[in-house]
Amino acid sequence: MHNSATKEILRLKVNGEEREALAPPHKLLLDVLREDLALTGSKRGCDDSSCGCCAVLVDGVPTLACVALAASYQDCEITTVEGIAAPGTLTAVQEGYVEAGGTQCGFCTPGFLIATKALLDRNPEPTPDDIREALSSNLCRCTGYMQIYESVRLAIERTKSSQLDAVRS
Amino acid sequence: MTLPAFRLERPARLADAVRILVAHGPEAMIIAGGTDVVPNLQMKLFSPRVVVDLKPLRELAGIEFTPASGLRIGAMTTLTAIMQSSLVRSKFPVLASAVGTIAGPLQRNMGTLGGNLCLETRCRWYNQSQFWRNALGGCLKLEGDVCHVAPAGKFCWAAWSGDAAPALLALDAEIEITGPAGARRMPLGDFYTNDGMSRIALARGEMVTAIHVPPRMAGRRGVYHKLRIRNSIDYPLAGVAVTMDADAQGVCREARVAVSAVNPAPLLVKEAGELLTGRRPSAELMEEIAHAAISTGKPLTTSASTPVYRREMLKLFTRRALEELWQNGRA
Repeated sequence: MHNSATKEILRLKVNGEEREALAPPHKLLLDVLREDLALTGSKRGCDDSSCGCCAVLVDGVPTLACVALAASYQDCEITTVEGIAAPGTLTAVQEGYVEAGGTQCGFCTPGFLIATKALLDRNPEPTPDDIREALSSNLCRCTGYMQIYESVRLAIERTKSSQLDAVRS
Repeated sequence: MTLPAFRLERPARLADAVRILVAHGPEAMIIAGGTDVVPNLQMKLFSPRVVVDLKPLRELAGIEFTPASGLRIGAMTTLTAIMQSSLVRSKFPVLASAVGTIAGPLQRNMGTLGGNLCLETRCRWYNQSQFWRNALGGCLKLEGDVCHVAPAGKFCWAAWSGDAAPALLALDAEIEITGPAGARRMPLGDFYTNDGMSRIALARGEMVTAIHVPPRMAGRRGVYHKLRIRNSIDYPLAGVAVTMDADAQGVCREARVAVSAVNPAPLLVKEAGELLTGRRPSAELMEEIAHAAISTGKPLTTSASTPVYRREMLKLFTRRALEELWQNGRA
């Protein structure tokens, strides 16, 4: 064991805000988000990059915060589950998860929402196979996968119909 | 869990990275995507004094191809970028399909080609928490003096378990290594030591900077098959990559077969190429190649799956890959 490394000021851009945290260089992004920035939406599940509960967007790309060193992500735009909708509102994806029962115990939900958002931002009309592939890094221990796929499908449908409404009005 | 404390270096230039690696030698570790290194640090498999983050070295990411020089992929290119590259998919399909099987989409967004080629070995006695390992008194590779896979010997049999390397061996790739004396290239097969203790041949201050695939492999058909428990996230328990060039009559002009996740290194099945060249497809020949695959690939009790099953799957995958390539070749 070496003597613990000194803390440094980390400057992170999280959910559109410049944030600072005092943390040692070996601190994980997940821990900085949860402990220093009080963003506890991202969850620690497996702690070894195999469950997806800690997923956040880094420059729009879903990334596992439990295997990321916070200091390495200072030049990036980070979006956590707290940042995907304005406070007090829900996105179509979140509404889909609520209505189709895509959230059971809720622990894996932040990671699934992040992976779903990344998918739909890139490809607004994914096939069922695209959806399964995009969510295949995320584990749901309630095993509610069918409801989760249904939630995504519902979100896509809602988004399309609201776009149609917008065009009509 | 928290990581052991270390100093983090974020060099802005490749030369600076090399300088830091030279200065700290075995006390320095490289972090690229982090998907292998960080869980290993969590388990306290190593406790480096200095960790060198390669993410700022943007020049190490990129995919280039010219008909004269072939394919070059920078070490920091993400696995997602390789899998989604239309160039790799159309000209080097075996690489795109092998990379597409690595872990899951989120790990591939972070994981890099260089990192995947430098993966730590995997063994059920090694990739465990410190508490678990200590309860057993460690193993030959770490904290102990007995290899639980083969207790009579003094050799580490931990399996080198990557998916990109067998595809690249089947494409006759070379690895580019940069160190204090500049860049050098060697056949990918020579990079792996086939010893679980050392695993890869990097001298002090050296790091992997790129992979090169020769021009003659552009358009080469190939197949990768992977054994794993789940269809996502898992490391391979056995992997077989085959590439083949056959003429219109189905006569094989060149073939390469490589196996992974069953030895301390990914290995080319040398006899396979010799046996296949100049031959037409037949059930007997495919059986012969499948046997060659298991005379090279020797799974031991390094994983929760049994050696017998993994050996059978090596044979099956080899036969299946040859059938697919020959069928498509004639179609």
